[in-house]
Amino acid sequence: MGARFPIQALTVAITAPIALAACSSLQGTSGSAEPATPAGAVENYTDIAHATYQDALISARALDEATDAFIAHPGEQTLAAARQAWLASRVPYQQSEVFRFGNAIVDDWEGQLNAWPLDEGLIDYVDTSDYQHELGNAGATVNIIASQSITIGGETIDVSSLTSGLLADLNEIGGSEANVATGYHAIEFLLWGQDLHGFDAGNGERPYTDYVQGEGCSHGHCDRRAAYLDAITDLLVSDLEWMTAQWAPGSSDNYRAELLAMEPSAAIQKMLFGMGSLSLGELAGERMKVALEANSYEDEHDCFSDNTHNSHYYDAKGIQNVYLGRYTRIDGRTVSGPSLSDLVAQQDPALDSQLRNELAATMDAVQTLKDAAENQDHPMPFDMMIAPGNARGAELVSTAITALVTQTGEIEKASETLGIQSMKPDDAGHTF
Amino acid sequence: MSSLARSVRYLIPFAVSLATATVSAATSPRQQWHTDIGQGYQQLAGSAHDLEQAANSYCNTPSDNGRRQLESAWRAAFLNWQAARFVDFGPIEQDSRAWQLQFWPDHKNLVARKVRYALKRDKAVDADFVSQAGVALQGFPAIEYLLYDADMQSGERALPAERTCRLLQTVSHHLANTTDALASDWQAFGDYYRSMDEYTGKTVAAAINGLEILQDKRLAAPMGVRPPHKRNKYLGDAWRSETSVAAMRASIAGFQQYLVPGLTRLLNEAGKPELAGKLVEQTDSTLAKADSLPDAMAPNLETDEGYRQLQSLFIEVIQLEQVVEDRIAPALGITRGFNASDGD
Repeated sequence: MGARFPIQALTVAITAPIALAACSSLQGTSGSAEPATPAGAVENYTDIAHATYQDALISARALDEATDAFIAHPGEQTLAAARQAWLASRVPYQQSEVFRFGNAIVDDWEGQLNAWPLDEGLIDYVDTSDYQHELGNAGATVNIIASQSITIGGETIDVSSLTSGLLADLNEIGGSEANVATGYHAIEFLLWGQDLHGFDAGNGERPYTDYVQGEGCSHGHCDRRAAYLDAITDLLVSDLEWMTAQWAPGSSDNYRAELLAMEPSAAIQKMLFGMGSLSLGELAGERMKVALEANSYEDEHDCFSDNTHNSHYYDAKGIQNVYLGRYTRIDGRTVSGPSLSDLVAQQDPALDSQLRNELAATMDAVQTLKDAAENQDHPMPFDMMIAPGNARGAELVSTAITALVTQTGEIEKASETLGIQSMKPDDAGHTF
Repeated sequence: MSSLARSVRYLIPFAVSLATATVSAATSPRQQWHTDIGQGYQQLAGSAHDLEQAANSYCNTPSDNGRRQLESAWRAAFLNWQAARFVDFGPIEQDSRAWQLQFWPDHKNLVARKVRYALKRDKAVDADFVSQAGVALQGFPAIEYLLYDADMQSGERALPAERTCRLLQTVSHHLANTTDALASDWQAFGDYYRSMDEYTGKTVAAAINGLEILQDKRLAAPMGVRPPHKRNKYLGDAWRSETSVAAMRASIAGFQQYLVPGLTRLLNEAGKPELAGKLVEQTDSTLAKADSLPDAMAPNLETDEGYRQLQSLFIEVIQLEQVVEDRIAPALGITRGFNASDGD
């Protein structure tokens, strides 16, 4: 695995059907005759993390190229290609979210890439009649693109030159987590614009002319908008390069080496903690239940592009990947090896089979969500599912929530079976 | 003295308190918890009915006095909810009742958005509308918005404007129904709760989660404890009514009243009286600190002295949480699973 792909291979990789190599073995075993060991499962986990981040990097580079092409030649087609590249880049990245909880190195880093929800008025123009931002956020309406300098909470910052470094420093400026200047969702906003349709069909409708230089530029400051998009797509690539290197084999001083040097049980605790936290608190709770119960499209994860169903789908997929010790790469190849599933099966085959079934049931539920959202004739994206009075939409989301909650219960049992005492994160000081 | 202890209206029926006091040896910890939490829910339901009644009286015959009574009824019911808020299992889980009572945190100011929408639209504000409108419109924060939001206090929509009154009454009615159902479902849940050993761990875990939320989300977040250390009163709960600290105080008092007796019993049964003593002592000290602070949080965020006061409370809450999580839970062999606030 450490192979790097030439950039040209990307487009092929991204458009290739993902299911190609997924049918060999569904048992999640390595295929080797040796019984799986905890140390082996941890090593395979690092391999899967590395492959996932490498795919995220490959597809971020493709996104960077597509946005460069769009900026150079703004038009309907180049904009569509850039949006397509963004959607493709989410497929591996969302599968990496399961590494976030439990691995402080990921959690501390990911804000710059995937922070959400954001007060997009920090970045660019918004329709203020339908713009709800975080209370007390002095940065919510500063509009960096339209300004040479901004003042937030008494601090004045020169933003005349939009570099990656400057924009990274502006994250959480003024102390608000909603001030997200970089990452996937900032890029998403710059490609799609605000979704002003509320619960109705439709997503952001930013015109390509927002990037036309000189005459024909819409909404003003097209040069700065282009510079902004260019800077944050570059930053995404360099951030993912860094994280990919953390999981790369063959290094003695990266995170992979650190993890492999630990007691295997400590690393296994992180694996299970990542699965359970993403499953219950983050995905079922923050991203689905809040949005559903409050009928709040402001709490929709990919709100500009209406790609929320895929974010949820690939989050869930990442959880399953870790348990089965298997990841299908964006070019269709499979990475697999000793797994948590193998370890649990050695102690309690019935529990292993139950958990695998529940993970599969979750995938069915999010697949149904995805199918409804992508239906050719009557698409029902996530923001329509959560509309007041949409009983069918609510049922689809509830079914997915229930499946995630159920599988979390089984993840806890698996933890007990593997002798993991507590699911409290071990990075205690990290919460503040 | 905590506001809970001052509340005399909904004292437990005499027979119940007598029974709890006399059968001490035979009462199991879960039985104790079931009784105590049940009392908390009864108080909540009783005060939610008072609130509904106060809303009706005020809207029928508006007066300054009626308005004061309405505000104090809101506050009493809201604080009763804070006291029982740590319970995150059982009937509170049905239909997202915890959020129906208090949708929080509300990062996107959804409560304001939903209330404004309800006041603006053409169709009637009735029970059906409120029950379909999502949790942000169904509980204490929506009423708080009507009563305290600065923009709502002037102009043609300010209470007692007809449509605003209708919304106030309808939401109060919904809230009374929610708390009624909660209290009676808790009684029905009793046999199951008492018979299932796993609820011992769940009850302790609920207490730990409640203390963590108190410490991290209700205190550390508005205080800006985490980098970049920006203080923001809007991240606390109940900032519109300036009762953020009063609400925390009520939660600590609720912990003392509804959680500590059962847990003390459990520790004594397990032969850990020293831990029981430590629990009682730390709870008293945390509550005393909370009692010494004013109801609102914002003024204390603005001065160094005030901020130091909040820091002392923060430390007290951490210490209480550590007693339960790091000493009591391991001593009782209780392990925590995942909880709904494990995300970010």
